Amino acid sequence: MLGEVILVGVMVGAVYALVTVGYSMVFGILKLMNFAHGDTYIFGTLICLTLLAKYNIHPVLAILIAAIAGGGLAFLVELLVYRRLRAPQHRLISMITALGAAYVVQNISELQWGNQVMSFPSIVESKFVTLLGLQVSVTHIITLFVAVLCIAVLILFMRYSRYGKAIDCVSQDMDAASLMGIPINRVVSSVYFMGGVLGVVGGVLYSSAYNAVSLGMGFRGTLIAFTAAVIGGIGSLGGALLGGMILGLSENLIGVYVSSSYRDPLLYSLLIIMLLVKPTGILGNSDQTKV
Amino acid sequence: MDMSFFESKMGRGLLFGGLTICLLLTPTFVTDIYILSIFNLMIIYAILCMGLNLILGFTGLLSLGHAAFYGIGAYTTAILMTRFGFGFVAAFCASAVLAMIAGIIIALPTRKVRGDYFCLITLAFGEIFRLVATSWIEFTRGAMGIVGIPIPKIFGLQIVTETHFYYLGLGILTFTYLTLRAITKTRYGRAFIAIREDELAADTMGINTSIYKIMAFSIGCLYAGMAGSFLAVYQTAVTPSNFRLEESCLMIIMVIVGGMGRNLFAPLAGVAVMTVATEVFRSTAEYRMLIIGLIMILVLLIRPQGIFGSSSFKN
Repeated sequence: MLGEVILVGVMVGAVYALVTVGYSMVFGILKLMNFAHGDTYIFGTLICLTLLAKYNIHPVLAILIAAIAGGGLAFLVELLVYRRLRAPQHRLISMITALGAAYVVQNISELQWGNQVMSFPSIVESKFVTLLGLQVSVTHIITLFVAVLCIAVLILFMRYSRYGKAIDCVSQDMDAASLMGIPINRVVSSVYFMGGVLGVVGGVLYSSAYNAVSLGMGFRGTLIAFTAAVIGGIGSLGGALLGGMILGLSENLIGVYVSSSYRDPLLYSLLIIMLLVKPTGILGNSDQTKV
Repeated sequence: MDMSFFESKMGRGLLFGGLTICLLLTPTFVTDIYILSIFNLMIIYAILCMGLNLILGFTGLLSLGHAAFYGIGAYTTAILMTRFGFGFVAAFCASAVLAMIAGIIIALPTRKVRGDYFCLITLAFGEIFRLVATSWIEFTRGAMGIVGIPIPKIFGLQIVTETHFYYLGLGILTFTYLTLRAITKTRYGRAFIAIREDELAADTMGINTSIYKIMAFSIGCLYAGMAGSFLAVYQTAVTPSNFRLEESCLMIIMVIVGGMGRNLFAPLAGVAVMTVATEVFRSTAEYRMLIIGLIMILVLLIRPQGIFGSSSFKN
């Protein structure tokens, strides 16, 4: 039993890591809490659901289209809502507009799909195999594999491509990066796009593993991403992975062994405790106020 | 328009007196129960937003969990009156104090964490409160909520009709205004503003910023507890859905639309605009969040200081 719970926990953790990475990258660059993150990726996930259930499109193609739609929406939100408030003195204002953007996206999804829990088709056939003496669902293994693959590609991209380096530069010092000829707006837009794409992939994987999707998962997803990012160390790629993993594991352990109705309150308490004990997270750098 | 008349002492006195008379006589002119119920709703939001303005407008702390403190007040009154036979006055005081204590506890982290992280703490607390209120069925009766809250009695007077509740609410609102005015006129009020303008500078000038932040936050929560207590006896029922994040956002918008900052009355404009707008758009309830969201974005992009704001926020 414990083995299965941990394995599912690792799978959920990998998906959370995927969702968190997109959010954490955005925070690393703009220091902005993107409240619309969860609602954006649920929008993409719901598009994927429509493509799969209504039009019977091949799953890979459907995920691709949905991911681009989610990324596009994230790009649009940044362009219309966040860009004008990018200066650090507007940080609290931009948080409120971010919340407004979350509401707008959520309401648009609600008008289209309603706020009921909908069943999400399994992308792969759900079979169980015995692995190392554990009963494991094939869906879970494939989910884990895809999530790990996406993260690995992202890490390679960030470390070795010119674009990845540009993103790193912008997150370190936006003004200096701008003076060095890095096109800030394009970099920021592309980070939002990538965050949206990764979020949608995570959302689709999660929904197909649990065979369910609902609008309520959007805001929960935002909070989960915040919590994971804060635990791991906000803004750091490794921190997002670690935080996602910790959250996925503890979610399943709490859900099975403690109480399923108090699972979310306990997870959010984790966020508060972490902010109290070590606001910079496990892998984050200490942040100092510049005078 | 020449504003100097309204800024002179006599002008302000006249304006104030006129306003007071209008407010006191409202139930004589407004006989429609529905319109009066909107007035009562506005009073509740006015108390909440005046308190929130102390937190957001004066001190510059963004609280996304104000509805939770409102809820703590409402649930305290509901539980004390239905289960422990408390009178309204005692339950009202207990609600206010409990909300304030919760506020102190939640504000403690401001000593260590930055503003945007603090905002996350309030957000998480708001969600935890709502989820616990929904799940702890033995204590809060879960999503069904607590019903059958008895008719409040104040010194032998029974509060039953809309008009009665109007005067009770007006009394609480007056208390809120007078105490807030007293607080903000002292050095405490100036310290709050100093923290909003530049926290580091305030700290350097010898203001104990963490204590003042906790103070501002918990006092704001005290009023939320009062508003919650009033809501409980007014609705005679409380459910967790009264205290969702949406509610916290609505309060923030009201404060922003009215104008954050030194003017204590400014949030009232936001309350009036948003309450009336909500009622007018009631038939299009499915667009409610879209409208709220768009207002949040547009107001902050176009006029961050609101209709009557004294200074733009954190600028």
